[in-house]
Amino acid sequence: MTEESTIASVAPSTPSARAGVERLRRFAAVLGALAILVAAGPFVLDTYLVNTLIRAFHYALVALTVDILWGYAGILTFGQAAFFGIGAYAAALVFTHIGFSPATIALAIALALAAPAFVGLLLGWLSFYPGSTPLYASVVSLAFPIVVTQIIFSGGTFTGSSSGLVGYQVVDFPIEAWFWVAGGGLIVFGALAYVFVKSEMARVLVAIRDNEERCSYLGINTPRVKILLTAALAGIAGLAGFSYANFSAVVAPELTGFVFGTELVIYVALGGRGTLIGPLVGTIGIDVLSSYLSGDLPYVWKLIVGLIFIAVIVALPNGIAPLVEAAWRRLVHTRRATGSERPVGLSSKPVAAVSTATLEIVGVSKSFGSLKVLEGINLTIVDGELVSLVGPNGAGKTTLMRCVSDGRERSSGLVRVNGQDIEIMPPFRIASLGLGRKFQTAGIFESLTVAECLRIACALHDQPSFLRSLEQLALPAAARLVIDATGLAELLSREARFLSHGQKQALELAMVLALEPQIILLDEPTAGLTKAERARIGRVLIDLVAQHRLAVVLVEHDLDFVREISSRVVVLHQGKIVLDGTVADVVGSQIVRNIYLGAGHA
Amino acid sequence: MMTVTLDIVTTAVLLFVVATGLLVIFGVLKIINFAHGAFLTVGAYGALVTTAFGLNPWLSFPLAFAAGAVVGLLVERLVVRPLYGRPLDAILATWGLGIVISQFITLGFGREIQFAQSPLSGTISILGETYSAYRLITLAIAVAVGLGFAALIEGSRLGLSARAVIMNEDLARGLGIDTYRVRRMTFVVGCGLAALAGALITPLSSVDPNMGVPWLINAFMLVMVAGSSFLSLALAALILGGAQVVVSSYFSPILGGMTIVLLSAVVLRLRPAGFGRD
Amino acid sequence: MSRRCSRSASGLVLCALLASPALAENPIKIGVPVGLSGANSVVAPSVVQSAELAVEEINKAGGVLGRTFALEVADDGSGAAGAQKAFDSLIFQKKVDALISMETSAARNAGLPLVQRGKTPFIYTSFYEGRSCNPYLYVNAWVPEQQVPPIVDHFMKENNAKTFFLIGSDYAFGRGMLQFSRAYIEKQGGKVVGEEYLPMDGSDWTPILSKLRSSGADALVTSTAGGAPNVTLTKQLRAAGITLPYGNLAVDEGTAKSMGADAEGIFISASYVTSIDTPANKKFLADMKAKFGDGLKTPNDLSVPEYEGVYAYKAALEKAKSTKVDDVIKALADVSVDGPRGIIQMNKERHAPLTMYLGQVQADGSVKVIQAFKDVDPGNQCPNLK
Repeated sequence: MTEESTIASVAPSTPSARAGVERLRRFAAVLGALAILVAAGPFVLDTYLVNTLIRAFHYALVALTVDILWGYAGILTFGQAAFFGIGAYAAALVFTHIGFSPATIALAIALALAAPAFVGLLLGWLSFYPGSTPLYASVVSLAFPIVVTQIIFSGGTFTGSSSGLVGYQVVDFPIEAWFWVAGGGLIVFGALAYVFVKSEMARVLVAIRDNEERCSYLGINTPRVKILLTAALAGIAGLAGFSYANFSAVVAPELTGFVFGTELVIYVALGGRGTLIGPLVGTIGIDVLSSYLSGDLPYVWKLIVGLIFIAVIVALPNGIAPLVEAAWRRLVHTRRATGSERPVGLSSKPVAAVSTATLEIVGVSKSFGSLKVLEGINLTIVDGELVSLVGPNGAGKTTLMRCVSDGRERSSGLVRVNGQDIEIMPPFRIASLGLGRKFQTAGIFESLTVAECLRIACALHDQPSFLRSLEQLALPAAARLVIDATGLAELLSREARFLSHGQKQALELAMVLALEPQIILLDEPTAGLTKAERARIGRVLIDLVAQHRLAVVLVEHDLDFVREISSRVVVLHQGKIVLDGTVADVVGSQIVRNIYLGAGHA
Repeated sequence: MMTVTLDIVTTAVLLFVVATGLLVIFGVLKIINFAHGAFLTVGAYGALVTTAFGLNPWLSFPLAFAAGAVVGLLVERLVVRPLYGRPLDAILATWGLGIVISQFITLGFGREIQFAQSPLSGTISILGETYSAYRLITLAIAVAVGLGFAALIEGSRLGLSARAVIMNEDLARGLGIDTYRVRRMTFVVGCGLAALAGALITPLSSVDPNMGVPWLINAFMLVMVAGSSFLSLALAALILGGAQVVVSSYFSPILGGMTIVLLSAVVLRLRPAGFGRD
Repeated sequence: MSRRCSRSASGLVLCALLASPALAENPIKIGVPVGLSGANSVVAPSVVQSAELAVEEINKAGGVLGRTFALEVADDGSGAAGAQKAFDSLIFQKKVDALISMETSAARNAGLPLVQRGKTPFIYTSFYEGRSCNPYLYVNAWVPEQQVPPIVDHFMKENNAKTFFLIGSDYAFGRGMLQFSRAYIEKQGGKVVGEEYLPMDGSDWTPILSKLRSSGADALVTSTAGGAPNVTLTKQLRAAGITLPYGNLAVDEGTAKSMGADAEGIFISASYVTSIDTPANKKFLADMKAKFGDGLKTPNDLSVPEYEGVYAYKAALEKAKSTKVDDVIKALADVSVDGPRGIIQMNKERHAPLTMYLGQVQADGSVKVIQAFKDVDPGNQCPNLK
């Protein structure tokens, strides 16, 4: 038994390696230049500007966390300010009530990291449960700073209430040192954020933002990803708060407030969400301008910012950074690729040992109130079978698919995937049992490239990297089969939104196969395909069943297609299985004819 | 005990009136108008102007409504219409709108805290307790607003069209209803209601350019919890407003301030439909 | 001048043109961070007016050390966060030579670290809860040791009050004042049956008033932030029909006037009332009326110390013969000002002995003086300072 390993290109070719080193050098050069600017700052700028910039640097760091959450992961949050404030208050409370010493400083830092992270976990748990909506998550993130502010107000003399806490002893740096700490911290975090958003893990975030349902059917525990992201960024914001509490020697409830939280969102929106550099420049720019202009032109300045903000949201949802970037490109005459600039190397995973697959559906029913959609479905499917589920519209075919792939759907009955009872498991857990589902409308990730989509699909088996960006894609043979057969192998760098309908369907099929399932559910895979594409898909499906020993279940309306490829046909009518047999059985059946043509009642 | 009950009822009623405008806009336009607090403030300053000109304080209510409606009309075309179908962006853009309106108010009236005259002063002896006459009047006004609204919704053509749009806008348009007009009129009415509520609350406290924000948050949470019917809003206002009063009176007014927000988030978590029907 | 300039963009341009000759003069800059917005916004305009009159008078009389005074006003939002920005801007951007102002304790406490860093003399002209000590800070307004006893004694003697209910704003001033009041009441044999707070910006006193009613207290003593909270509390108090003897530790005459009929009957204890019958006060009031006409905000216990504070700074500059900070700080303890409140010298551990007046607000908004106490000592405020 030869385990063939076709490695197309394992070692990166020399030009690409050189390109990689060149990128690294450019990155280091930028960081170096910024570091020099920060080092020189306090000596060149006047005290007021230095003060203002230190504060702006702190705010910019928090704005970066908002951008990662909103611009990349699609989570609109007003709550980052509250985490910043919690970190600041942690420091002030420790120094005020316990004292000031190296031990308490360490305690304060630990608290400023841990308390917001813990609260972030709670907040995430509250906002990101299966079935929650983005609106609800935003509502919670809005309520959160209000609750924190009120808790501070209720703390009386312990938290200082309206006055805040003042006069506690602080880490006593001269102002130059604060500039270096704040500026340096911002550069370090900015660099880390930059590396992170180019990494494979960040693609997962974007995938969740684009199509969360698809991610969960690929085995990704999306609520957990969001909760952990929130907690991690909360801790970072808290750390920034600790630094700020030491710099300003005053903490006030406004630091945790909802107004500050909203201001951060405004800075990110204006700068350009999802660009990192936009929010950074936007925050520093607006904050510095405000401190100079709001003394002399207090209302007019805020009015202008408000108007620009409205204009940006209504007309330029991506903010100002993309405009600047486009203008810069035109100036510098660089061409822009329609996808990622780096070519991705493709390889195949070693073929897995063949395993048996079973899908048992026992007595499954589904009702909506008094309306019975499925009644007493009993079905067992094993590997090597290509089962087509047919029946008129409304017969319950898609509902049955849902009941099998999502443990919370069915009203009664039992489903076992590869021997494991699915109970009330959510889709991501069932996917990890070996069940893949392809949707009727191609569920792909519009803003990611073909290669990135496939990488996300492999996430269950290959942990995405937090640091490396996508360079090598190792696909299982079944997925490789589909990409090679449909020509997607040449389109790895194209953004998925630019694919044709047929290509999107093929991509989704490849993604489902990349999950390495033993059982696949396909919902109308030929919908919208040309005749040639249909034939190709048919061959692929037959191959999957014959050579890779999968169990394939399709829902189909194209009866010719069904006849050509199926090994078994199940007919559903009004929620019940009416016939379960070979193609010949079904073709010759009078019952089926009656169902489809409506001749006489039984 | 009686005092607390009266406090609960009058507080609930105030919350209901403040939240009604927001609910109307959310139900028909499916947009959350985060400038609601600013419209509240517009109405409050309208009341201020009314009493400053020496007019009868009772006139401040209709005048405030008119002021809010006019500003709403101006704003609908530019800000609201492009944002249909983008609820999160609508929150942000209308928040920006609120900032802009507040700044205009500050430019015109200054940023200090000011006070409007109460149309009615003194107390009334009711059910064994002496209670603020004005707070009791707000109860009457709110009931009038509620009934007037119900009449509008149930009895007028605009109301019928609005209900159709709430249920299924595409279908309504297909049936020949001018949904743009319905949405515009609804937005205008919603803003007018917000301004009316603002005029209603000014005699109880003070007027400043940022007074709308705390009311906005509470109204927003109530609307989220209420779904889209007035009845469930009234219920939410009574239960959550009552909880706020109870916590304020028996525990601490500061904790009371966050009761509505906290309870709403919890209710929505346990029952996403809130107080409304699924 | 600068504040009126900032009201519009065109005004800014105009004023820049007009002010250019003055720029050549190098004036001594006085920073006035004050609550133009927020809780104090009701009283801030009167404070700015006092400062403006003092500066105008001093400049007309030839200035100080051959230079004129110039005012830089900044909004501290009546709170900690705003004060940080205001103090930062005044000390480091506008580079003022001194700060002379009235503000909430939250703002003052937040500004002090910046005052320390910028080494700027700070004359605090607001009454407050006491015990704020800083090498650069001087106070010419009252502290609880001077202000609270007259009111409590009056209630206990004239109204036979044995039980007291205390209401305040939840910050340093509110808590500090009521803490002192509680200690004093209990020392005199009374009892405190309730003590409730709202955050500084809170405006709904309903649940607290319900508690007040059910407590059965004989008298009410309140200490909210100066300005708006006073008005909302009093309005709601009267609307609820409460007629207990009501001592307000934090209301000034101007705010009381703006409350209208609701303010009638309130007892206040202040170092300044407009009815003070001295030639200095009469001249002061006449000059204010002449300068501001119908736009005059009632001079009050929060704004008059500002006027005297500017004069104290002038006197200290002349004694020190320079603007050098250390000399000015030393001189401030030695100079005295003869103003509307009489002769005032900040020589008791950075604070000043003051003549206090116990008064009751009348139906027309004026204050009737019931008793006067001469030169009340502020007690030991900053024993550890120099």
